[in-house]
Amino acid sequence: MSYIAGVDIGNSTTEVCVGEVTPDGNLRFLTSASCPTTGTKGTIENVYSVKNALKLAMSRIGKETSDLDLVRLNEAAPVIGDTAMETLTETVITDSSMIGHNPSTPAGAGQAVGEILLIENISRAVPDTDYILAASAEHSYEKVAAIVNRYNELNIVGIILQADEAVLVENRLNKKVPIIDEVRRIDRLPDGVPAAIEVALPGQTIRMLSNPYGIATLLGLSAEETRTVTPIAKSLIGKRSAVVLKTPGGNVHENVLPAGEIYFYGDRNITISLDEGADKIMAAASDAGDIHDISGQPDTNVGNMLSRIRTGMSHLDKSSEADIRITDILAIDTLAPVLISGALAGETCLEKAVGIAAMVKTQKLPMQEIATRLSADLNTKVKVAGVEAIMASLGALTTPGTQLPLAILDMGGGSTDAAVISNDSNVVTTHQAGAGELVSMLIQTELGLSDRHVAEQIKRYPLAKVESLFHMRMENGQMTFVDESIDPRFFGRVCLLTDNGMIRLEEDIPMEKIVQVRREAKRKVFITNAFRALRKVAPGHNLKNISTVVLVGGSAEDFEIPEMLTEAFTDYRIVCGRGNIRGTEGPRNAVATGLVLSYLGENK
Amino acid sequence: MIIKKPSIFIYTHEADPSVLKEVCAGIEEEGVFYDIEEFPNECMEQLAFKAARDSMLGSGIGIFGTAVCLKMRGLEKGRNIESYLTPTRLQCRNIGANSARAIKKLPFKDQPSATMNKEFGI
Repeated sequence: MSYIAGVDIGNSTTEVCVGEVTPDGNLRFLTSASCPTTGTKGTIENVYSVKNALKLAMSRIGKETSDLDLVRLNEAAPVIGDTAMETLTETVITDSSMIGHNPSTPAGAGQAVGEILLIENISRAVPDTDYILAASAEHSYEKVAAIVNRYNELNIVGIILQADEAVLVENRLNKKVPIIDEVRRIDRLPDGVPAAIEVALPGQTIRMLSNPYGIATLLGLSAEETRTVTPIAKSLIGKRSAVVLKTPGGNVHENVLPAGEIYFYGDRNITISLDEGADKIMAAASDAGDIHDISGQPDTNVGNMLSRIRTGMSHLDKSSEADIRITDILAIDTLAPVLISGALAGETCLEKAVGIAAMVKTQKLPMQEIATRLSADLNTKVKVAGVEAIMASLGALTTPGTQLPLAILDMGGGSTDAAVISNDSNVVTTHQAGAGELVSMLIQTELGLSDRHVAEQIKRYPLAKVESLFHMRMENGQMTFVDESIDPRFFGRVCLLTDNGMIRLEEDIPMEKIVQVRREAKRKVFITNAFRALRKVAPGHNLKNISTVVLVGGSAEDFEIPEMLTEAFTDYRIVCGRGNIRGTEGPRNAVATGLVLSYLGENK
Repeated sequence: MIIKKPSIFIYTHEADPSVLKEVCAGIEEEGVFYDIEEFPNECMEQLAFKAARDSMLGSGIGIFGTAVCLKMRGLEKGRNIESYLTPTRLQCRNIGANSARAIKKLPFKDQPSATMNKEFGI
């Protein structure tokens, strides 16, 4: 009797499966485990995660890693995925020319134009000039209101406050004016500069300042100045309150960044500029046929990104004849909120951007080195065995209800791989750039999250909004009531429903928006890639020649991606669904299971 | 017929004037009505509980001296949304704002524990 372990090192997770060979030559699966991959796939750092996962698996059956008789490593496909985001346009507003934000409680309504007057300087103000009063948080609402009421001979047409006290001030004023509050960087407001202020009616958004001609009307701009002010108007669309300053040296640009060109070297060589957008780039990629390398224009963002990925890969294969090539990219159009330089209340502006995942291929990953090191550390035999795609197919076949010919779609963190096994065990495989990590990146940029980790969690878990202390509304509209009151920290917020309780999202984004961005990101990446990948491996490049598709890999565990794909493939009469390895493991562990299974085949 | 205005109830017992003033300012900024009533000899939680029970909006604040407590109708005994024995000016303002935000179903303003954690790097 001996214990055999199969180990699959992936871009983001390392999975192991442990089986036992009984004396009569049969195989019994005992346990499995997974943990995050340490270091880049195929490097010696992977040893730590492999040992960790093995220890975890063995502890589940009350054994030590020293009890293992053989560890089988996968001959990992020598591909690595990486992602990057490229902004195509950029709005630069210098000399802090605007404020536009959504304070929860501005006061008054309407627009006004006047000179900025700091409250400290009010004694210097003269009658017959319109002023917009600016008061920092040091001045209490009572003081501000008292001062404005006392200087009633002055024309104060609007007020900007740093503290959240707009309604309090308004309730104490004799003459009502629009008031904007919660302006964080009020200290940057220049004294004596002409400004226009607008507060929208309840339930509406501003109309004048989000319109270039509106700004021109209020501030008396020339045609040329109106042109330069357009980006400001654009970034104020949808706001509840705004201030636009007319700074003499003020400078607004909308730059189109030199995004650079991508060069495809394939059956045909094609050059395409990044600012053509994702669709054109992908069309160029497929026009190029079999791509053997992709590079970017030197000294541009895309050029730097592609060469960075290439350099990263060259650390893996240090041999002089190293042949490192970028063989696939996936480009996706997106919008990225960019912090406006010189903003006074943390405003952002949505800029056009392209998200890119690239795939690097080399001849061979140094798996043997990992095996040698692992063998020394664990004191057992370690063998590099089997091609990843074949092992995955072997594992996928343990899903109940499958048969040959079979197509697998392995949706991992870094890449989407497809393989088709025909009845006579011929295997065709392909690796496509773009998978789970690209989805996380898209979610992060489109929602303007500061943290990739939060985006990961949004990708992974469904949402709910806590509507009272005793009930919440799920993202599908269903209501759930709880016996014991929900922690007030979650009240009114959008939360993620994880296995171990709720996680609160700090950002104030409507639940519907998050759901839409999340689903759209998954659809853009996985539907595009599933079709691209399967078309490549399908006999005659025709999807109709595939009848069964088993989804495996980490992203197949997702709560909505498999359903999206099942729906998308119904048109082609393809049976497609989430794999269930060994009938118990779900879509994970296919390669590790295949590795253990193939041990039997080898020994017969 | 007496019709009660939809308002947040503040039940007090010898309330500290500055605490009461900031709490009221917090509610006013959010644009919700409030009513203040004096009760003899009750603890802050009792006051808040009764205020929440009696308020048509289901949100009540109890102030006993400087101690202040925010409750919503239906909350079990011993579970408050927020309570302080000697609150700062900002905490008073926030408790008022939060009593109104509870009705508007808006997220509460910074929980002082969360801000404290940030300040002390916990």
